[in-house]
Amino acid sequence: MRRLLLPTSAAVLLLLLLLLLVMTARTPSLVTPEAPQAVQQPPFRDNAGLRTMQARYKVLSKQLSQLMPNQPYILVDTARNRLYVKHQEQVVLDAIASTGSGTILDKPGGVNNQWVFDTPRGEFLVKSKLTNPTWIKPDWAFIEEGLAVPRNAADRAEQGVLGEYALGFGQGYFIHGTLYTRLLGRNVTHGCIRLNDNDLKGVYKLARVGTPIMIF
Amino acid sequence: MNLCAIFFLLAFTAPSWARDIEVFPDLNLKNTSELKEATRVLEEELKLAARPQTYLLIDLGRSTIHIKGRGIGLHHIPIIAWSTSSSEGLKGIHRLVARPPVVRRKIEPGAGIEQEPISLVDMPTDYVLAFNPSLSVTVVPSVAGEGLLQSAVLMGKAGWRTMKDWTSALLTDHSSEPTSHLRLTLSVDHAQSLAWSLVDGMALVIRRPTAK
Repeated sequence: MRRLLLPTSAAVLLLLLLLLLVMTARTPSLVTPEAPQAVQQPPFRDNAGLRTMQARYKVLSKQLSQLMPNQPYILVDTARNRLYVKHQEQVVLDAIASTGSGTILDKPGGVNNQWVFDTPRGEFLVKSKLTNPTWIKPDWAFIEEGLAVPRNAADRAEQGVLGEYALGFGQGYFIHGTLYTRLLGRNVTHGCIRLNDNDLKGVYKLARVGTPIMIF
Repeated sequence: MNLCAIFFLLAFTAPSWARDIEVFPDLNLKNTSELKEATRVLEEELKLAARPQTYLLIDLGRSTIHIKGRGIGLHHIPIIAWSTSSSEGLKGIHRLVARPPVVRRKIEPGAGIEQEPISLVDMPTDYVLAFNPSLSVTVVPSVAGEGLLQSAVLMGKAGWRTMKDWTSALLTDHSSEPTSHLRLTLSVDHAQSLAWSLVDGMALVIRRPTAK
């Protein structure tokens, strides 16, 4: 009997506590598009106030437009693996790319120390333009293949795998060519952005050192 | 000669006119509420666009999420429906402090180059984003266009999420800073697309709807 009473009184206590919480809690009032709790502002008493506001809005719009690149820029959509070169609203070049795989690889000997193969998101600039680039293989390229990392720097150099051009945008990331053109359109890289030969040539011609790269 | 000079001058000034953009094409410049809200958002956006970063602009008036950089719209995501607990708490610049974790696949050394990457379909469809100052954005997928079983699963998840929200609202210490809630219903693809595009610390500005 006592065994039965204990859980029952605990349940009653919990119920009372919940009831108390419900009574004291502020009910969240939902605002929906159908019945919007619209932002209400007191109306201007005269037209001069409205004109001042309109002028302020136009000034701010102008300031925002001045922050936009006035030269061609590169736009990369990592979810859909597309690269565009745009000039204002116009698409100058539209290419299928390959971007970061998002996979991880353990660093040797490190605890919770990993490489994450993401293409970085945000705004970058073209920092370098290279022709016939040589790939200096980083440590992960050897470890991923189950090979020992060479001590000699010359053993890291690999010719002909990055295509004819490469555009560096910092921290070892490049827009470059690929031997694996069948994988274009998929997230398979270690963070770099791969293009086919034609598109790479187009981007190389259109971009200059300092060209903005927007990646999302 | 003078006419030539004027024409020459016009030719050079024309591009700067062309750069004038309609930041909010739906804005009624004669509506003071709309104008004040748009001006506030523009002031916030200018601070973000001045720096090399991508940021989010949620335009509740036009039911669209914009991913932007330097004032340029890089990508937009339509909102199917939305609701909020308070429109006042949506003002200002918010920074993303917590988002759903990405389940990443680990590369086995020596296993070959073609290991399965993560893609959009690996992204969550039903999640909560926490921003600072206190704002939580709940993303729920729309069940429209889904199969019966999928709809039931999604509705079950949404129900569970609502229950969790309520429990959390009930158990929250109301003496502390109140958290504003924004609930967005997106299509499954768009919910995944948004989750993919988020970056830790990403800034968010919200344009609230105004009285017409």
